[in-house]
Amino acid sequence: MTELPITLTDAAAALRAGTVTSVELTQAAIDVADRVDPTIGTYLARFDSYALERAAAADAELARGEDRGPLHGIPFGVKDILAMAEGPTTAQSLILDRAWGEGKDAPVVARLKAAGAVITGKTTTMEYACGMPDPEKPFPLPRNPWNSDTWTGGSSSGTGSGVAAGMFLAGLGTDTGGSIRIPAAFCGVSGLMPTFGRVPKSGCVPLGYSLDHIGPLARSARDCASVLEVLAGPHASDPDCVDAPFTASELTGDLSGLRIGVVREHHFPDGRDPALDGVFDAAVAVLAERGASVVEVTLPYWQEMVTVDIITMGCEALAYHQTDLGARWDDYFVATRAMVATGAQVSGADYVQAQRVRRVAQDAIGRLFDTVDVIACPTTSVGAPTYDKLTGPDGQPDIGALFSMIHTPYWDTLGNPVLAVPMGFTADGMPLSLQLAGPAFGEATILRAGDAFQQGTDWHLRVPQPATEGAAA
Amino acid sequence: MNEIVKTLLSIAKLPASEAEIEAYTTAYAVQRASVDALYEIPEARYVDPALRFQAAARITDWAS
Repeated sequence: MTELPITLTDAAAALRAGTVTSVELTQAAIDVADRVDPTIGTYLARFDSYALERAAAADAELARGEDRGPLHGIPFGVKDILAMAEGPTTAQSLILDRAWGEGKDAPVVARLKAAGAVITGKTTTMEYACGMPDPEKPFPLPRNPWNSDTWTGGSSSGTGSGVAAGMFLAGLGTDTGGSIRIPAAFCGVSGLMPTFGRVPKSGCVPLGYSLDHIGPLARSARDCASVLEVLAGPHASDPDCVDAPFTASELTGDLSGLRIGVVREHHFPDGRDPALDGVFDAAVAVLAERGASVVEVTLPYWQEMVTVDIITMGCEALAYHQTDLGARWDDYFVATRAMVATGAQVSGADYVQAQRVRRVAQDAIGRLFDTVDVIACPTTSVGAPTYDKLTGPDGQPDIGALFSMIHTPYWDTLGNPVLAVPMGFTADGMPLSLQLAGPAFGEATILRAGDAFQQGTDWHLRVPQPATEGAAA
Repeated sequence: MNEIVKTLLSIAKLPASEAEIEAYTTAYAVQRASVDALYEIPEARYVDPALRFQAAARITDWAS
């Protein structure tokens, strides 16, 4: 068989050129899943027959000239905290009532279906999009296709590993503290957290009502732009979602006139990977070679916004979970319990004060974006950690140590769009990632920067060769 | 500090184990200082929170 395209963009072009069919793409994705999924734990549910039916329908429609756009006929994964009529939503939890969302599509899933995407299954997540893996629970342990001794990151774990391994060409994730960008970073793929309110989040099991974002993971910035075009736009069921549809601007690879603010403070802590400094400097140099002007900046209210993310998520999640936590504490993942219990350790006044400081920081970041168009910084300071490093000496999940090396929550609190793209590898050969943040509703600008970066590099096209030994569960 | 965390969890009816309470207590000391620091930001003194209530809002089924 001719080698199949590995990006959504190339696959969409090949479908229209008649050099590949959707059934071929989908069958290849299923074959990869048969071979690799038992090791890396990408799926909670596979819809092989449904996917092949939809692929055949897409081929027939395209042959008739009925073109629904770039997602038409593309194998696609959906994180299992989003409702989809073809199967139950579990949120990878023993707790969630399987009747929730039964037989229904979340608005974003309905939009994917309408665009002709071929949804191959529901992907693994950290429980309720929160926390860390728990080997005591009866769900797959997500393992990184680059090294199955390491974690994928979370919480959109299966979507990240599935794109990296070739089980689908794009997928949906959600991001409340970094859950799109962390697995994108650790798995070496691109991930876009859209502006809060750009994409409707109803039909998604909530984690933090004022922090949750739904967005794509895919190989390239260009792929992410195609998916965002389908996802964006208001929906009456989500009062936070505004009338801001998205249309990708022309992606020329030229960054002339673009002002990029480079952030180093807080992002290069002791204990960072030894390769990080050189990899990041090289990435910034690529952006400059493409025509961008580069200045050093600092992010206002950094520590405060990290704190606000933690306590806002804790309070909003506790309101949702408190009754179940009281009745079924042991059925929750250990790390989920720890993170949600944070909400019990602050007062109502603390929550409101956090939202006041959040407003101040929003204003400050808006003023910073008056002086630069894009902010660039590392997504994480290390590559994917091995499983044995996720637990502290007390046997409890070491959330603090993990997040001291992850630089995503700041942006969830502020609601700005952020694109994470692969920028190189650690000394041990694990992916490293570059964040490109923009002003509110500035996705076109960060996608332009990300695409230009990827026109000058091939990190996003590097494909792991995952092991097929062992088991994910 | 351990007793404070124990009390707060008890009020919320969260039956954490002793080992969990121990771990939460370690994190609590750091978190409490970070939360207290949010009250020390002068720029926030007269700022409205990022919360809004819409009087005419209704609940719309997301699958409809």
